Amino acid sequence: MSRAATLKDQERTWRYSFVGVMLAVLPFFIFLQVVRIQIDPKLLENVRAKIEISQHAQHMIVPARGQLYDRRGNLLAGNRTVYEVGVELRDVVNAQTIAQTVSAILGVDYQDALARASLTSSENAVYSVLVDNVPQEEIDKLAVVKEQMDALYAKTKGENVPSLIGLVYYPHLGRIYPESSLASNILGFVSRERKGYFGIEERFDGLLSGTSKTILVPLDPNRAEDLPKVPDGASLVLTIDREIQRAMEEIIDRAVAGSGSDSGTLVVVDPRTGEVLALATTPRMDLNEFWKYSQVFPKDTPFNRAVSQAYEPGSVFKVLTMATGLDVGAVTPDTVFVDTGAIEIGGTVIYNWNQGAWGPQDMTGCLQHSLNVCLAWINTQTGANNFYRYMQSFGIGHVTGIDLAGEASGRLKMPGDNDWYAADLGTNAFGQGVAATPIQMAVAISAVANKGVMMAPQIVNSVISEGYQHQIERRVIGVPLKPETAKTLTHMLARSLEVESSDALVTGYRVAGKTGTAEVPTPFGYTSNATNASFVGWGPVDSPRFLVYVWLEKPTTSPWGSVVAAPVFREAVESLVVLLNLPPDDVRRQLNSSIDGQN
Amino acid sequence: MDQLEHITRAYSQAPWRKQWQIIGLVSLILVLIAMIAGVYLSISAQATAVGRDIQSMQATTIAVDRENEDLQSHLALILSSSEMEERARSLGFVPVPPEQIVYLNVPGYEERQSIILAPSNERSVVGARYMPPEFTESIFEWLFVHARLWYSSMIEVQP
Repeated sequence: MSRAATLKDQERTWRYSFVGVMLAVLPFFIFLQVVRIQIDPKLLENVRAKIEISQHAQHMIVPARGQLYDRRGNLLAGNRTVYEVGVELRDVVNAQTIAQTVSAILGVDYQDALARASLTSSENAVYSVLVDNVPQEEIDKLAVVKEQMDALYAKTKGENVPSLIGLVYYPHLGRIYPESSLASNILGFVSRERKGYFGIEERFDGLLSGTSKTILVPLDPNRAEDLPKVPDGASLVLTIDREIQRAMEEIIDRAVAGSGSDSGTLVVVDPRTGEVLALATTPRMDLNEFWKYSQVFPKDTPFNRAVSQAYEPGSVFKVLTMATGLDVGAVTPDTVFVDTGAIEIGGTVIYNWNQGAWGPQDMTGCLQHSLNVCLAWINTQTGANNFYRYMQSFGIGHVTGIDLAGEASGRLKMPGDNDWYAADLGTNAFGQGVAATPIQMAVAISAVANKGVMMAPQIVNSVISEGYQHQIERRVIGVPLKPETAKTLTHMLARSLEVESSDALVTGYRVAGKTGTAEVPTPFGYTSNATNASFVGWGPVDSPRFLVYVWLEKPTTSPWGSVVAAPVFREAVESLVVLLNLPPDDVRRQLNSSIDGQN
Repeated sequence: MDQLEHITRAYSQAPWRKQWQIIGLVSLILVLIAMIAGVYLSISAQATAVGRDIQSMQATTIAVDRENEDLQSHLALILSSSEMEERARSLGFVPVPPEQIVYLNVPGYEERQSIILAPSNERSVVGARYMPPEFTESIFEWLFVHARLWYSSMIEVQP
């Protein structure tokens, strides 16, 4: 064999040996790695996660937030397409151009946008959000600028060339309130973080928003899968009537302006069902501009005074005191009380609103002239145990359970409490020393209008979920009065309004009601001249369809409920009877008798 | 021995024939592989195209859902109470004074109820008693029933 052939054979042998060794060693290392992965579960999980991430894109399915409707099907809160504007950090060419553009078009703070767009791209920083909830119109403007800039500078080379490369925007659904500020205190709003605040939006946040789901979408089109079906958030049909709500808001706004009050509240309830037909309060805000919340509601201003602000209701409370006295049999409508102008209870002398003595008065007269002394006397006849037992059954001092966020419970001091004194039995009789929200008062007094039966206040009529409408059942929350007591008291209150020719009277309709004027307590007692003026009324007396509660906070034109609140009730009822298709009493009786005749 | 060698040589194939056989076999295998690869690629390409279509349709579905929400909100804006009032006023309508309202007795009229936007969750079952016999009886049953009717009518007409 020649030397060249020997060398060639040796080289070939070496190559074969090398390949052989490699083929033997590589499987060994593979085996080692397999063993290592098997004995270390964390490593296995990491490997799996890396494989998943490399083969999939993470995608979050956010279901559409449920809509809110009024009882007639008018949309009060819906959804619309808005955009999240951000930057893909890896692609950014000129952060200054991006910051200037979004600052000029979208009103974003320039320094903030620049800082976000200038972030260095890394494994942990690939995308930065500049602003969210941008409406379509502004995105259209942004698109035009982007297009123009691309056309102008696409071929220009060099540093600091203006460029919007890297600026991106992604659509998603955001909240819209087609009625702007209408019923804003009931609805609440949804923040940029898609969280509900106040009212229905907060109370039913979980139900409305549905359940988001994060899924991994395969990048390989061969492995394309059906996206899982994520049900939209449930929609709610409210008991509110848009037209009534609008009319009541206009009325209360006029009343607040006309009386120089700090605020106003107007509640309309159907006493037969507990359905809240309108709940108008001031101030209100345009829910489409929810970021102005702190301007509209400075400091501790409640978002919805009707449910969140307890106050001393004053003489409207006398309805409950009289109801209790009549129901336990302590007094009858014909019981005569000789008013001497003062009564001492628990060491405290109680006077009438005008410090006067009204002489002999029957119970209707006591209500008609709103005599504190008479009502305090009734409580002495009723007794503390009976009085507070009835107040509890009326729900005073407890939340009503209305479907709105932030309901206050008010305060009813009871015998046995550290701060309860015997004098409270007398002052509580005319609504002093007790705190209640307007909705509490409306619900409690609705028992008088509804034959003694108290219905739970209802603001959600039905829930629409996964294609079905679920009706919310009406609930009786108590029967604090006998039907005959409720009927008697209703006629007494109707008569008292008629005798005094109250400003609350409505032509053609017999209504029952009571005024209320309460001094506003200060840390030093009842030392200010400010008052809370209220009125509660319902009608038609023989078949009540509505109960209206009016509260004007610290009116300046007149402190009296009979002067500032009673006309608001009348105006509200004049509007209500038209919107509820309620004929005047005589027409209704004629129609009913003609129907009876036909039958 | 020579005889055996002679026979073997006589029946053994020529080298060129063996080469052609090997070339033919390899070519056949290659063609088969190419065919399988072609079929696989074709199916794979179709699956990929369908996958892309699915992804595209999913994106379209999401966009359509969003558009649907947009349209509902847009409709609500057009029908909002302030817009409607403005439109009514521009058409010359005014709020009706209570004294001008005429109430009529309409037999069967029921008080306006809350809106129903979706079916109730109480399942409705079609009652079988309302199902006409045409949907349930067989042709023999039909013949039997009609024959019986014909027979009874014949009996009735007899004096």
